[in-house]
This record gives sequence, structure tokens and C-alpha cells, in this order.
Amino acid sequence: MGHLGVEHYLFLSAILFIIGLMGVLVRRNLLIIFMCVELMMTAVNISLVAFGTATDTLNGQAFVVFTVAVAAAEAAVGLGIILALSRRGKTVDVDDMHSLRD
Amino acid sequence: MPWDLIFFYIIGAISVLAALGMVASPNPIHSGILLVVCFLNVAGIFVMLGAEFLAIVQVIVYTGAILVLLLFVLMLVDPHELPSFYLAQPLQRGVGVLLGLILLLEIGAAIVTQTQFGPKGNATPANIAAMGGNVQALGSVLQTNYLLAFEVVSLVLITGIIGAIVLAVPERLGQRIGTLRSTISLGHPRGLDHPAALMAGPRNETPIVTKERKAPEPAAVRRLVMAKDPDDFTSV
Amino acid sequence: MAQEPMWLTFIVAFIIMNVLLVGMAYTTWYERKVLAAMQDRLGPTRSGPHGLLQPLADAVKLLGKEDLIPAGADRVLFFFAPLVVFVAALVSVAVIPFGGTVQIGGRAVNLYATDLNVGALFVLAIGSAGVYGIIVGAWASANRYSLLGGLRAAAQVISYELVLGLSLVGIFIITGSLSLREIMEQQQRSIEIGPLHISNWFILSQPLAFVLFLIAAVAETNRAPFDLPEAETELVSGFHTEYSAFRFSFYFLGEYINMLVVSLFASTLFLGGPSGPGSEKYWGLGLVWLFIKVAVFMFFYIWLRATLPRFRFDQLMGVAWKVLLPLALLNIVITAFIRLIANGQIF
Repeated sequence: MGHLGVEHYLFLSAILFIIGLMGVLVRRNLLIIFMCVELMMTAVNISLVAFGTATDTLNGQAFVVFTVAVAAAEAAVGLGIILALSRRGKTVDVDDMHSLRD
Repeated sequence: MPWDLIFFYIIGAISVLAALGMVASPNPIHSGILLVVCFLNVAGIFVMLGAEFLAIVQVIVYTGAILVLLLFVLMLVDPHELPSFYLAQPLQRGVGVLLGLILLLEIGAAIVTQTQFGPKGNATPANIAAMGGNVQALGSVLQTNYLLAFEVVSLVLITGIIGAIVLAVPERLGQRIGTLRSTISLGHPRGLDHPAALMAGPRNETPIVTKERKAPEPAAVRRLVMAKDPDDFTSV
Repeated sequence: MAQEPMWLTFIVAFIIMNVLLVGMAYTTWYERKVLAAMQDRLGPTRSGPHGLLQPLADAVKLLGKEDLIPAGADRVLFFFAPLVVFVAALVSVAVIPFGGTVQIGGRAVNLYATDLNVGALFVLAIGSAGVYGIIVGAWASANRYSLLGGLRAAAQVISYELVLGLSLVGIFIITGSLSLREIMEQQQRSIEIGPLHISNWFILSQPLAFVLFLIAAVAETNRAPFDLPEAETELVSGFHTEYSAFRFSFYFLGEYINMLVVSLFASTLFLGGPSGPGSEKYWGLGLVWLFIKVAVFMFFYIWLRATLPRFRFDQLMGVAWKVLLPLALLNIVITAFIRLIANGQIF
């Protein structure tokens, strides 16, 4: 890892994760919220790989292979849900999706 | 200053700025493109960490995934409605940013004070190079220590695909595929079709069209374009 | 891999890039000449002997044209989209080997810009990133024909990239490596069948994969008969309808460089790269062999364009998902099976 301590990567990961989290809280477009969730997953991947490299094991990278696969499955199902929701309610605004509340 | 530190700060700064732009941009297409920029830089970070295979996987998987997301934006978002639901309520916005910053502080404190490492493994760069490289080393780990998890993940993927198909197919067979809005919008909030853009003209030159275009009467268009109900033509 | 100083790598990369750009210019000349011969015409003859200066004249013409931006366009994206296509096409040649390590003036020189451990996947990844240039440019020009072209490009590339990637898995199983240099070197060995010494080109052990790769590669580069994104009879000219002058020339350059890169990639993967009679002794001869292979692939591209009508869109999707993808999976299973038997791990 040369001169770079693992903390650098962990901080970058934390910052990206928080940006994604804020996006989920702040935005109302379902598709943007979905992008923010993807960003949070990637941020976690950075710290997994960083820890793996810091301890000279490949376990971190192996985990990331699995999280990427799970993220792909999540993307497929999530987009299916978005499509079904927008077909039912004709909108992708999360504030308009309250049929379970009423 | 060592080179890897400089590279790290450049790549990290671009990815953070792109992520911020993704959250802040009112246009979902811009958000998607900035997300791709961010993920390409994360792939660069993976290369710096010695995980070349993951970097390539990151690019292949996520560029494809976000491309599909962009297509969804084009299909599902009506550009004229965009500004009305760009951000959440003011209170919600403030609380969201505040909570995020607090969590960032907590995680930062945890990283500084509480970081602990497990026992060192033997996957040093020299050993990985002896195995033939990152791909070979990662492959052998996946196929030995994590073989069961590897198989389970393939099951997860299959389930995900089937779930997506079940969700995306219309409830009744024979129902029209696609949203009822059924048009693909260009997604430009101020495109040429917008009356204001037509009036102003590009770069404040002489207007192309001086009069507003008269809206076609919907019934007439329908009679002209489609003699029958469109549902009669499409079957699944 | 021999270590070499940084400046030498830069020189090699610089030469490769310039050869690619000049080669791209003369690809357009080659295409026009071949098309003309197939249609019983002469092609360009006026500028220079046999029209050899025609690419130059074309470049001057393109640079001199008026640069238009539609009023409703998204200016930033409209500016960047052609560059994405161009740069993505150019970057992927960095991993393609033009030969092994050779001695020039007493110095060991690698005839490739870099040897990535994941080289083959790198080309695929850069290719998938290049689609963004098409769909973003299509969206940014605020034109319905452009947008339809861009949507077609997106659907087509997502489908055919699967086939392209899966058709290579057989080769990865045989070589046990993703590095293009390693794949090239494994094909330098020859197999002896009786008195014959045949080069171990992967087209011999992976013929099905070669056919699949070729079809998917034509679709990836948006060339006829898969040129639906720019189908001029239906969509004016598809995703680059609103592009003119210099910006258009970047799309144009990108498309032709993509064709060259795919030809180089296919030569490296299936036809042994620079291997051929005499290439072990003289590396210059290897470059000539590689050039001939690329020229054959380019001829194939142009031949397709001159003879085949365009696919219908549902046919395009049907071919990818119902024919090519199952065949690619079948190829992987058979290759893995034979590899296991050859290693004595089963039976």
C-alpha cells in the first residue's frame, strides 16, 4: 500500500456512504434514491477491499465479489418494483406513493 | 509528496464531487452520468488497492446497471413534472443533512480511534504475483474457501432475475406492455417543444416561431392516427 | 514481462496511437475502394494517386464545416459525448500486444503499451463505457430520431456484450489467464499432427466461439447489418443526426477506431496475433502478419456492409437472446468438460 494508510480509503468510503445516505433522505425521485443506494453499496465495497489489502488477505475482495452479485440482483428486483409501481401509480415520486397508508 | 498519495487525492476528490453532484442535480440524466463518473473513479481506487479484477467488474457491472437506470429515467420521468418533486420538504432536507453529518463525524471518530486489524494473511503482493496475478489468486480463494457462498450467490442471482421478470410482466397476460403514459420523453425540461424556448429563440436571437403552436385537438389526432383502439393491435 | 523505463513505454504508446489514427484514416479509403469494387465503380480517384489523399481532403472538409448546436440541446453533454466515444475507442488498444519483447538497438522493448492481468476484460469494460457516448449524445441533442437511435444502441450493446464476453470464456478456460500477452504467447506454440506443424491458434480449438465473437463484435461496433442505431432509412442518421463538423468527426473516428481495435482484438484472441511463418525470427514479419489479419477482418466488415440488408429490431434481439447466448453457454460447458477430461480430473 506504499505510503497510503488504510485510513485514507476508510475516510473516502465513509464520505461516499454518507453522501448516498443524504441523497436517500433528501431526494424524492425514486430512481435517484435507487442510485444513492448503489453508491452506498460501492462505498462499503471500498472499505472491504481496503481492510483486505491492509491485512494481506483476499477475503475482502472475495466479499466484494459477493456484494456486487447481490447488488446486481437487488438492481434487477428494484427496477422491477419501480416499473410495477410507476405502472400502478403513474409516478416515480416517493411522496405520492402512499397507497399502503391510506 | 509521493505519487500514490497525489493520485489518491485526485481520484478521491473527483469521486466525491461527482457523488455530490449526483445527489444535488435536478436532472436525473445528469445524476446518472455523474454516478458513472463516480464509479469509474472508484474502479481507479480498486486498482490502487491492488484489486484489478474488481475494478473491471465494477466498470462492467455498474456501467450496464446505470445504463438501464438511465433508460428508466427516459421512460418514466416526465420532464415537465421534474421541478415539482426535485427535493423533499425543507424540514426533512435539513434533518437529513444534519443526521448525515453527525453519522460522518461518528464514523470518522471510529476510524481514528477504533480501527483494529485481524491476523495478517499470506496474500502479500509477492505471493499474489507468484500465483500469476490478482485474477488467479482471487479465483482460487473463491473456488476453495468460499465455494458454498459462491454457489449460493448464483442462486441469489437466478432468484433476482426471476423476481424481476415476475414484477415487470403486466398482471394480466394480454395487457399492454409499458406504462400507460406510453411515450418516451426527451427529458429536457426546456426542450424545443417548450413554448418558452420557442418564443425566446436560441441565444436570444430572432425567434424561430413567433406564434405559439396551436395544440392539436386530442380527439382529432386520435381519429387521424389510429383508426381503432391501439389495444386491438397489440397483444402479448 | 521485461521491465523497461517509463519513457520507452511512452514512445511505444505514442507510436501505437499514431499508427492507429493513420490506420483509421486509411480504413475509410480502404472501405470506399472495396465498396466501389463490389459495386463496379472506381471509388475515390481524384485526390492523389488512386485517391490516396482522400482521407486528408475529408478531414479538411469536416473541419471547415459549420458547427451547429441545436437550440434545445444540453450543451455540456452535447460537447462531451463524442469525446467519450473517441477516447474509449483509443484507450482499449493499450492492452493489445503487437508482439513480445524484442531487442532494438541493444535495448529490450515491449511491443505493447501495457500488459494488464485483466487485459481481455479491460477491452470489454472500455467498450461498455463507450456506449455512454452514444446514448448521452443522443439524449443531449434533443431530437427524437437521435433519442430513438440512442435507445436502440443501448439495448443492442447490452445484449451483444453478454455474447461477446461469454464467447471469450472458452479461451480463458484453455489459457488460464486473462492477460492478452499470455493468450498471444500460448498461440505461438505449434501442435504436431504427423509431419505437419500447425500453429495453436484458438480458432482451431474454439471455432464456435470465433463465429459468435465475430457476430457480436459487428453488433458492438454498430456496423451493418447491425447498424440500427444509425439506420438512415428510418432514423435520418440516428444518434448523430444533430452532430456536424468536428463533433461528428469524433463519432466517425470512434466508430472506425473501434472497428480496428475489434479486428486487432480478434486477431490476438483467435488468430495468434502476430504469429505466422518467420515471425519467431523477425519481429517485423510478425507486424506484417498482424497487419494482414487486421486487413482481412476489415475486408469482412466491408463485405458485410456491401451485401447484407439491415436486421429488423425484433430479429436483432431474438438472435442475441435465443440463438447466440445459448450457443455461447454451450461452448463454455463443452470447453470446461474437455479441459477437465484432458487434465484427468474426471473419467
